[in-house]
Amino acid sequence: MIATLLLLVLMQVKVPDAEQFVGPPQGTPLAGPQLERRTMEISSELRCPVCQGLAIGDSPSLMAANMKAQVREMLSRGYTEQQILSFFEKSYGQFVLLKPKFQGVNTLVWILPVLAMALGFVLVVSKAKKLETAPAAHAATAAPAAEADDDPYLARVREMVEKQ
Amino acid sequence: MNRTVLIIGVIIVALVVFVLFAGLGKDPQHIDSPLIGKPAPSFALKAVGTGETVDLATLRGKPVIVNFWATWCGPCYEEHPTLVANARNLPNVQFVGVVFNDTDDKILRFLSERGSAYPNLLDTNGKTAIAYGVGGVPETYFINPAGVVVAKFEGPLSTELLQENLAKALR
Repeated sequence: MIATLLLLVLMQVKVPDAEQFVGPPQGTPLAGPQLERRTMEISSELRCPVCQGLAIGDSPSLMAANMKAQVREMLSRGYTEQQILSFFEKSYGQFVLLKPKFQGVNTLVWILPVLAMALGFVLVVSKAKKLETAPAAHAATAAPAAEADDDPYLARVREMVEKQ
Repeated sequence: MNRTVLIIGVIIVALVVFVLFAGLGKDPQHIDSPLIGKPAPSFALKAVGTGETVDLATLRGKPVIVNFWATWCGPCYEEHPTLVANARNLPNVQFVGVVFNDTDDKILRFLSERGSAYPNLLDTNGKTAIAYGVGGVPETYFINPAGVVVAKFEGPLSTELLQENLAKALR
């Protein structure tokens, strides 16, 4: 990373720096396996702009590889996850965040599944209550039927069953 | 009870339909740039061929058109003649090409075969493209004389579209 920066300085080249967008790093610089692990974790939260719904961590595209390299470099400089996500959001907008923020129309994405589950729960509970009360109601209606011995139709049925 | 559940269900279905309908007809690759109205991210990159360093900060005072492209991009071949012709016709506008994920020799061959009228800068590791929120090439950013991004265009530009977007930088 330092070698790349030195090379850029020697070449008199200056690329837009993350500090322009999110200020100086607010965390601890990472290295080794921890750096790789965090790079993969954060890369799974960022959408690849040239793919269909893929995270940059899962995409084989050059653009995604560049973005992943940017994540790795920012982590190695001590940028926090929040700063890294904010950096990409400032250039790509909320489009780049695979986990949408709880604001605007996005609120529906978070609320609708909960509402649907709550509605399902209410339906199940109300059905269950109906099933519980149904046998009792059936017993209550069965009693008067038993008394209806004078029904000629029932008498005929009984007669036929007894014959068999 | 059932009536209440039915009403809530209808509302939920209506909201889901609304969310899905809002997404219909939208280009899934289109990205609304949050940079519009904000200062253009600064960069100083080497021009392919001449080796001179072009610093965006030194171009303040006139409109700048920053075109991201690459030799491996098909639509960039289609767009290039439009950019070259307009760069020759509009001396008061600074055109800058930023080439990413590409090599010097391929860029030089492309420019020698198809002409060149403005500096084309090599973007190391696509860092400049990322800072501008480039989703794919070609993609063009229009910067006003004060250094503020005023428009973004995705895809190959025609002269009409170029002038339409450039007008925003001249207001």
